Amino acid sequence: MLEFALVTAGQVFADSGSSDDGGNFGLVLLASGFVFYALIYFRYRNVDKRHKHESETEATMHNLREDDRKVKSLKGLSNSRMAGENGDEVRGVRRRFF
Amino acid sequence: MENLNPKPDAVDAAGTPTIPESALEHPADAGPDIIQTDAGARDGLAKCARCGATEIALNVATGMLRCSFCRFEWASDNAADAFDLNGDIGKLSGVIVGSGSTDILPSTDEVLTFKCSACGAEVVIDTNHGTQARCHWCRNKLSMNQQVPNGAVPDMVLPFKLTKEAAVASIAKFVGKRKFFAHPKFKQEFNPENVMGVYLPYMVVDINAHATFTGQGEHETRSYTVKQGDDDVRRYDADLYDIEREFDIHINDLTVESSSERLNQNTSQNSNNIINTIMPFDVENAVRYDSNYLAGFTSERRDSNLDDLQPITHVQAEDITRHRVRDTLKFYDRGVRWNRQQVDVVGQRWVSAYLPVWLYSYHQTKSGGRSFLHYVAVNARTGETMGSVPLNQGKLLLVSGLVQVIGTIAAIVITVVGF
Repeated sequence: MLEFALVTAGQVFADSGSSDDGGNFGLVLLASGFVFYALIYFRYRNVDKRHKHESETEATMHNLREDDRKVKSLKGLSNSRMAGENGDEVRGVRRRFF
Repeated sequence: MENLNPKPDAVDAAGTPTIPESALEHPADAGPDIIQTDAGARDGLAKCARCGATEIALNVATGMLRCSFCRFEWASDNAADAFDLNGDIGKLSGVIVGSGSTDILPSTDEVLTFKCSACGAEVVIDTNHGTQARCHWCRNKLSMNQQVPNGAVPDMVLPFKLTKEAAVASIAKFVGKRKFFAHPKFKQEFNPENVMGVYLPYMVVDINAHATFTGQGEHETRSYTVKQGDDDVRRYDADLYDIEREFDIHINDLTVESSSERLNQNTSQNSNNIINTIMPFDVENAVRYDSNYLAGFTSERRDSNLDDLQPITHVQAEDITRHRVRDTLKFYDRGVRWNRQQVDVVGQRWVSAYLPVWLYSYHQTKSGGRSFLHYVAVNARTGETMGSVPLNQGKLLLVSGLVQVIGTIAAIVITVVGF
């Protein structure tokens, strides 16, 4: 339970940190005790650390074929990122929190 | 030295000492091709070529084996050169495994008995923790270098490069930065001099695969704000593309733990993720296996077979492929959504290895009698250090509470003053 709370707090902190909305600063202050706990916990226990096999393993591409076709233009989108984005997905992590 | 234990499916070790193409065996059944990696290896008294002594150990400073009597130094052949592991990955087809990576037969003993060729006494080697033992009668050191199907003798070994002194300093520095909230008992008992040099078992895999990715990507064309009531909100325009990438991918030296215990990286039960974090190793510098590299260190026997490790290895190969293809997608600054990701493994080469780790362990007894093993690990090649330090929960909760009170007051003040 404790680690779940820490992971959640860590994610809240990460999300607020990456936002350029100054309003989130107040949210961080309101959760400052939890954020502090999470920061220290991760610094000492390093439960979030793992070998980044996806980037730290040597790999080369060959015979590349690229096909890009424009479908349409989208206007007035509210999200800065594409919906359902999965280009950064990593599935082969052995580390589990529970 | 004569191995008194039966050696099921053992391959004749009386072949030539070098392993060119001729070493590739093609069994009659559809099993993997085998690269014979212990050809010419002998169990028993491994003697210094100059003086005949058996007191041989790694000189960490030079990375070479050294005779403790006459100081003569030499090194085993580079494994990649000896077993032709540097060949074009694009030409890999089917499954190729080193003879030290073949399946472990459950009937094979973990504790093996050998006959000392110097005095004839029987000597026991516990392969769970090493592949050497000293004859109690004549004091000679016996080495096991031939592979038996119990996972104890790998295809290659990467010698320690970082000295114990350097590892101790690295661990002391790592823990020193984490003392304030550390558990008082840990602070009292912490002694980095207790670090152990351990060769841990891994599989090193080269993969030749063909990948096809299809999906959609978005490229931002405009970013602007619009009024929504009293607020300004940000809006984006973007172009949507159908995208497809098809390519061959050559993955070199993907490394996975081959001990079932180390593969369990549930952080609520253990700190094995710490040992995982200190990868990668420079496995291209591994050498042909020689038990003398293990002298003075301990080792952990491989207990996982190719079939156990293939699923996670292929998933990780897909991750690497997905990561690599991002180089071709920089135009899509709003991201990419793959609908179909197909990575077909055309060829794979598996080689088992002992890789060197300086390991400091601390056994913490928690409330309720539960125990937890914390590690601070140092990659004995690159020096990368990672660790888990037990926390003083009471102190941390108290300080966190204080921070919470101060933060709440600050938030109220900011709201009232209206910054």
